[in-house]
Amino acid sequence: MFVYTVRRLLLAIPVLLAVMFITFTLGLYGPGDPLEIFYNEELVSDPVITQRLRELHGLDRPFWVQLGDYFAGLIRGDWGESIATGRPVWPSFTAAMPISAQLGIASAVVLVVVGVPLGALAAVKQNTWLDYVIVFASIVVRSVPPFVLGPMLLIVLVLWLDIMNVPIGWKGIFSTNAILPVLLMAASPLLVVVRQTRAGVVEVLSQNYIRTARAKGLRERLVVWRHVLKNALIPVFTTMGLITSGLVTGAFFVELIFGIPGFAQLGIEGFQARDYPVILGVTIIGAGVIIVANLLVDLGYGLLDPRIRYE
Amino acid sequence: MADRVGIAGLIEDDQGGKQRSLWVDALERLIRNRAAMIGLIISIILIIIALIGPYIAPHDYIRTDISNIAAPPNGTNWFGTDLIGRDIFSRILHSVRTAIFVVVVVVSISTVLGIALGAAAAYLGKWVDDGIMRLTDVVLAFPDLLLVIFVSLTVRQPFVTWLNGIYQRTGWEFLQNTLFLDYLIVFGALALVSWPGYARLIRGQILSLREQDFIRAQVALGVPDRTIIFRHLVPNSIAPVIVSMSIGIGGIILLESSLSFLGFGIQPPGASWGSMITENLIEWRVHPHLVLMPGLTLAIAVIGFNFLGDGLNDALNPRQIRR
Repeated sequence: MFVYTVRRLLLAIPVLLAVMFITFTLGLYGPGDPLEIFYNEELVSDPVITQRLRELHGLDRPFWVQLGDYFAGLIRGDWGESIATGRPVWPSFTAAMPISAQLGIASAVVLVVVGVPLGALAAVKQNTWLDYVIVFASIVVRSVPPFVLGPMLLIVLVLWLDIMNVPIGWKGIFSTNAILPVLLMAASPLLVVVRQTRAGVVEVLSQNYIRTARAKGLRERLVVWRHVLKNALIPVFTTMGLITSGLVTGAFFVELIFGIPGFAQLGIEGFQARDYPVILGVTIIGAGVIIVANLLVDLGYGLLDPRIRYE
Repeated sequence: MADRVGIAGLIEDDQGGKQRSLWVDALERLIRNRAAMIGLIISIILIIIALIGPYIAPHDYIRTDISNIAAPPNGTNWFGTDLIGRDIFSRILHSVRTAIFVVVVVVSISTVLGIALGAAAAYLGKWVDDGIMRLTDVVLAFPDLLLVIFVSLTVRQPFVTWLNGIYQRTGWEFLQNTLFLDYLIVFGALALVSWPGYARLIRGQILSLREQDFIRAQVALGVPDRTIIFRHLVPNSIAPVIVSMSIGIGGIILLESSLSFLGFGIQPPGASWGSMITENLIEWRVHPHLVLMPGLTLAIAVIGFNFLGDGLNDALNPRQIRR
């Protein structure tokens, strides 16, 4: 297990480095000359000043030196300065990330609390109307993108039913304002959880040890909770990477629609202002989150399922 | 089966006789699946609209009419008009074409790319396999929306320069068209995030099929490579590809409209569901139909393709008949 852990960690590092390399390269060469983005045209048209500026920002150095410098900066917590605000990027990230993390964790909890029972119920009542309704509903919820579902919910809840005010802004995860954003973020990955749980439970229900458990007179509820779910949830756990990816994507719309000053909001503002230091940071962190999630899945897999041996 | 032995029997069995083909079975299972049939009908309607929609549109989809702004659905403007007086129904008809066009191109590019790279990885093995698989790891490490936005932002400028270069040499007017550029970038960015799925699928299919007894038996019997590839490997791996293509369609529509929604995809006056929603989102309190109409169309389209994909998955997966 120890050897496996170390090897898995070592495998994640090149992926992360490749992600950072691709992001940096595209970010440096993609938008054209960085000087033209930073400064106005008159300044840049003078070759002497241009040369001085290049030296000042280190843009005259070879590509690999600039890359190494950027990487070293990342480790030191120096992620460059925002073009739009002139302030360093990292502090604004550290201010925004806890908000998005809280939203993400709350949505993950909702996913487990809602998705697992629904999936198990669908499997136990397999091929009845209840099964069809659950699967149908999760496909519908998955198919309607958050930027359609969000406004639709607002139209129904605020305009037609008039049971709430527009929940704009961030007042902490335990305020009523957070309910809609959390549910909305959990909406599209829900199908993955429901489908995996359903498939897992259906699979496990046909196993011999379940027949044994029933044969010895165990009540059906105990069979499902004690014997079926534990084994059926392992495949659900392995989709955590996919679910994390869905949550990160969902955050972009939810934070935009509800005006939540989180990490994704920062990213959208950066993208719209073509603020490259911010864009690079957001892209690298977004990929980093997925890489870590996949790492946790691979490492946790062995703990959950003792039958799996790592050689 | 028992009375046929030998190579001749093995090969003839594939051509039918009393055996039913996989496709007939699959079609029957698909027809029996009600949700899949609904999905199929929605998909066919959308494809027809994509083909003829612009010709049956009652109004010009980019003509603005300041005297008739944000009208609710009525007799002349069936879905109402938007904030600058354009007919929403006509715009939706056009946006169906946009969506289907993007889907067809992106699915084709990413499938061809995925099959080529996946097959290369499986057949050539060694460092080619390692290289291609690590590449898919890296692409899949990005959240897909984030990568699509990032790529569509960063490659735009080099692309404009490159296209301008071609324009100056050839004088082709359409290269200067920003809508053409929008499409090209959206295609590229979406195909970039979709190919790794196909590549992994094909690689896995080929690797696992190659080890199966019925293929090994044919190799041992001296059946020519071409027969094995076209009569056994291709039919056996085409079903999962069709399934993953049909399941991917919904995702591509969602990604394209998300991109347009955030303002990085196909921009006005081009019509896309995502940009139609953004344009009107500020007015959702006063004129909810402006958001509801494109939103509902988008939702129905994605639901349709997802149902179809799900149905195909069940129909083409004979080993998973439990459902």
